[in-house]
Amino acid sequence: MSILKKKSFGWYVLLVSAIVAVVGLVQFSSWAPDHSATDTVITVALILGIAIDLVTVWKDLDILVVASTACYMVGCVRIVTDNVGSFVDAYQGIVMFGDSTQVGTIVSIAVVMGVAAVLSAVSGFLPREKA
Amino acid sequence: MKHSKLWTGLSSIVAILLVVSILATQCMLDYASTINQALGISTSEVVNNSDSDEDLTYYESEYGELNAENLQLLIADTYEEAVAEEAEGAVLLKNEDNALPLTSDEMRVTLFGHAVAQPLYKNSSAGSRGYEGEYCIDLYTALTDAGFAINDTLYDAYVASDTARGTGGYDYFTGTSSEASLGEEDISFYTDELQASWADDYNDVAIVMFAREAGEGMELEQEGSYEGISSLALHQEEKDLLQMINDSGVFDKIIVLINSGNAMELNWLDEYNVDACLWIGLPGQRGFEAVADILTGETNPSGHLTDTYAVNSLSAPSVVNASYNNQTWTNLDEVLAAVEDADAGVSYYNVQAEGIYVGYKYYETRYEDTVLGQGGADATVGSSTGSGWNYTDEVQYPFGYGLSYTTFEQTLDSVVLDGEDITVTVTVANTGTVAGKSTVQVYAQTPYGDYEKENLVEKSAIQLLDFGKTDTLEPGESQTLEIVCERYLLASYDYTNAQGYILSTGDYYISIGDDAHDALNNVLAAKGATGMVAVDGSEAAGDASTNYTWTLDAVDTETYRYSSATGEEVTNQFDDCDINYWAEGTVTYLTRQDWEGTYPTEATQVTLDDAMIDALAGYNYEKADDAASVSDYTTGDNQGIPLAAMIGLDYDDPEWDTYLNQFTIEELCAIMADNFGTAEVTSVGKPAVVVGDGPDGVGGTFDATLYGDDRDDCCFPCQVILASTFNKELVYNRANLMAEECLYLGFELAWMPGSNVHRTPFGGRNFEYYSEDSTVGYICAAIEVEAMEAKGVHAGPKHFAGNDQEENRQGIAVFFNEQTFREGALRVFQKAVSESGCMAIMHGFNRLGFTWCSTSSALLTQVLENEWGFVGLSETDAVISATDSYLAHYVDAVVVGTDTFCLDFTSVSSSTLLAAITENDDGDLLGMVRKSAHDNLYAAANSNIMNGYSQDSTVVSITPWWQPTMYAIIAVCAVLEVLCLAMMLRKNLKKNPDKEA
Repeated sequence: MSILKKKSFGWYVLLVSAIVAVVGLVQFSSWAPDHSATDTVITVALILGIAIDLVTVWKDLDILVVASTACYMVGCVRIVTDNVGSFVDAYQGIVMFGDSTQVGTIVSIAVVMGVAAVLSAVSGFLPREKA
Repeated sequence: MKHSKLWTGLSSIVAILLVVSILATQCMLDYASTINQALGISTSEVVNNSDSDEDLTYYESEYGELNAENLQLLIADTYEEAVAEEAEGAVLLKNEDNALPLTSDEMRVTLFGHAVAQPLYKNSSAGSRGYEGEYCIDLYTALTDAGFAINDTLYDAYVASDTARGTGGYDYFTGTSSEASLGEEDISFYTDELQASWADDYNDVAIVMFAREAGEGMELEQEGSYEGISSLALHQEEKDLLQMINDSGVFDKIIVLINSGNAMELNWLDEYNVDACLWIGLPGQRGFEAVADILTGETNPSGHLTDTYAVNSLSAPSVVNASYNNQTWTNLDEVLAAVEDADAGVSYYNVQAEGIYVGYKYYETRYEDTVLGQGGADATVGSSTGSGWNYTDEVQYPFGYGLSYTTFEQTLDSVVLDGEDITVTVTVANTGTVAGKSTVQVYAQTPYGDYEKENLVEKSAIQLLDFGKTDTLEPGESQTLEIVCERYLLASYDYTNAQGYILSTGDYYISIGDDAHDALNNVLAAKGATGMVAVDGSEAAGDASTNYTWTLDAVDTETYRYSSATGEEVTNQFDDCDINYWAEGTVTYLTRQDWEGTYPTEATQVTLDDAMIDALAGYNYEKADDAASVSDYTTGDNQGIPLAAMIGLDYDDPEWDTYLNQFTIEELCAIMADNFGTAEVTSVGKPAVVVGDGPDGVGGTFDATLYGDDRDDCCFPCQVILASTFNKELVYNRANLMAEECLYLGFELAWMPGSNVHRTPFGGRNFEYYSEDSTVGYICAAIEVEAMEAKGVHAGPKHFAGNDQEENRQGIAVFFNEQTFREGALRVFQKAVSESGCMAIMHGFNRLGFTWCSTSSALLTQVLENEWGFVGLSETDAVISATDSYLAHYVDAVVVGTDTFCLDFTSVSSSTLLAAITENDDGDLLGMVRKSAHDNLYAAANSNIMNGYSQDSTVVSITPWWQPTMYAIIAVCAVLEVLCLAMMLRKNLKKNPDKEA
């Protein structure tokens, strides 16, 4: 607990970003297998980002924040680029390249991962430990 | 400094931008060809290294040089053709007391039905987007231009309404799927204020337009979620609207326009006092001009239906086993567990228990048997009324039906049998008071006797043989048409005994008629039958004089034993597509011997055993023990021969081997992945290729920098409208103009025409297939392909074959007997390939039995190549870079003749084949890949894209502008990231020299 006493607002923002990333990881992991959308890169990126944030509990390094931000963003963008076909179908109103019914889910998961990335970036601007 | 974490935050922000730019670039590279096509970028160009003034234009535009001025002439002609097609393809179904054409005193009108504000130009599918934007003419504009005064109060209210048709598509913003709704207004929409707008004015005519929207991947519903009834039936809002119009009592006439590519149920026209009804199909971007002209009488309608309009669409015997009645295996869980790459693509099937009895071949055959008292045809089964089956209870408008503003008299002058030709001479006289065109429909009846009954050879009581169309005939004017029909079309496929085509023994009839039913009545009259009825239920006598008959004394099993195109024996290839082959007695096919006992009343149930599951799973290819080695082939032996050197060489010319030897294995595999085009291979002088896609428009945008105009190619009326013109000249003209557009767009080919069959009226893509009758497609597809190929633009009919459903289309297993398949689904493609020089073909998503079309040796090797003599590009439907479904069976596809894989963005097919060849030292497979490349390149070499290339030319790659742009963005982000990180580290070190970053 003494470790946490040293933490300031910025670290809690980072913590929230990690929690949001966990939510995104759970969402993705439960959705992807049923829709042929499993992507190891996304999974690894999110796990890595979360792990890096956990490291900051003990070791607060700025570079870790940058790294976790990048990891979350990889998940966010990758889930969209993996599923371009579903967006094309939704746009064109056809059933061909992907599954347009999943666009909402894809976007919602991407948004969660994006929020994690943004929160992580915001924490970068803030002091994470008390002076 | 207050912002001690500024550089950390900035580093994170830039990291976000860097990740986005890298992944976006990667994605864009994956879809590079699609992006290039959208941006009108070619990735290669020709550099001529010779000063020769040799003419390098192998395929010329009939407009002359490709330039801005001539493009305008072409565009004008496409628009004119589009209007002409609609003018001759729209079908006048009802015209009580000559309600149409409208007079100059009947021009103040009110437009009803939400579709007037949301016209359906085209269903969703590939092709032209010309219906979007300023060059599209909607109904309102067309009518206004024609001089109508329109009730704007109601029209504006429709425009302002939030109501819209729903196709069941997904709504991104609400996160819900829309209801499959008609988009018609609730009756409460018509407020007192709106009703007042037509009470005293704009009430000469009520013009009501109803639409039915299907599309690619979207079947119309048989029992809709919307109202629980067929999508093709009249729905409550529509009934309320018609009742309100009737109740108003102010309209002199009610005219209904049917804006649909699917045959609606129209048994309500009398009930709601509709004076006239015009089926307008999907008119494309210019067709409404013709609709207005028909209403005013500027154009006399001459279209005829290419589908039966049933009173009850569910009465077709195909429906119980089709579309939303597709089935999953009874042991689906077991199947999914057993198949390695199981998904929806191995789950669904349907059984064509209806056999050959699709569309009019069912309704008219059952009618004849009812009249003649045969086969228990008047049983209640299949009846829409619950009582004995009766033709007039079932058919509203028969195949071939269509009215005119004038009357014609057709006289059968002669029928001459000469070898394979049956020349039918018909004189047509305009006996009415206005000028018009008449369609001559030639039908046949072939014998259905003991041999056929014993061997389960089914016969339609009437079948279209060919057709022709007169010029515009003035009142009193006559014209004699000579229509040369094919005797081949009288043959039936006997899959049980002769296992080939036969000509039956017995009496043959050739007849003409206003429609299929009329022609059948004429045949029945010649047979001395009584008790016939006309379409409207009135007594009919038929006209025996419109018949020609002859007798064949013995069954002929030899005449069509061998293919006229190649000499290959034509015999059973699809035994395993009959589910009875796997499990005897699973299905009983509909036979006219016993209507009551064989009419399918419920979907056929199928349980898969191990052998069936193995067949479904696929992955059949195994390297042979004596397979050649990769080293047996020469690869990478570059002798500087460009593709241009192959122009005009025979497919079997040895020079092709020398040319192909130049390719490395990687290069051969690379061109297997198609993205509506393939990239250039500069080392062997192969230019980049782009292609179009769409039966009613090739789908492209003209290059403004080259031609001064950036509009889309023409969106013609839907293909059913084209077929309904029964005008071969218009059919040819459309394809000719589409080919001209391709010359301007730089397309090697276009995936068209749509060549599947309207197995049910609910088919999502019926609008871009010709008809329920394969003979219509057989004739029209051949004409379109011939026109395209003449311009050096390959026409690729799709989807080969049996892709007659959109629901579950990916991987659905379709079962049938071979007579059904050869006389139905296959026939549409046949003449286009065997006689019209077709050099491209796209396969179906579906399976034939358990086998995906693209892995079917029976379909692609035996029928397509060996029987029909196909040489050219044979492509899958969209595989979308599949890795874990039946669409990923790349090796199995190549070994049966598949040449390219459609929309393989990330070249999974290429890498899969490369690995299969090199890792297994599989020379046999390399040989097949070489053959695929040969097919592909042979088609390219003999197409318009070689215009401008000579043997001295070189192909130079062009890097699309967006690629360096994206790389520059990545570089900038990377530099910024490094700077930010450096500043962050510097700041940290400065702040605390002992602290780490």
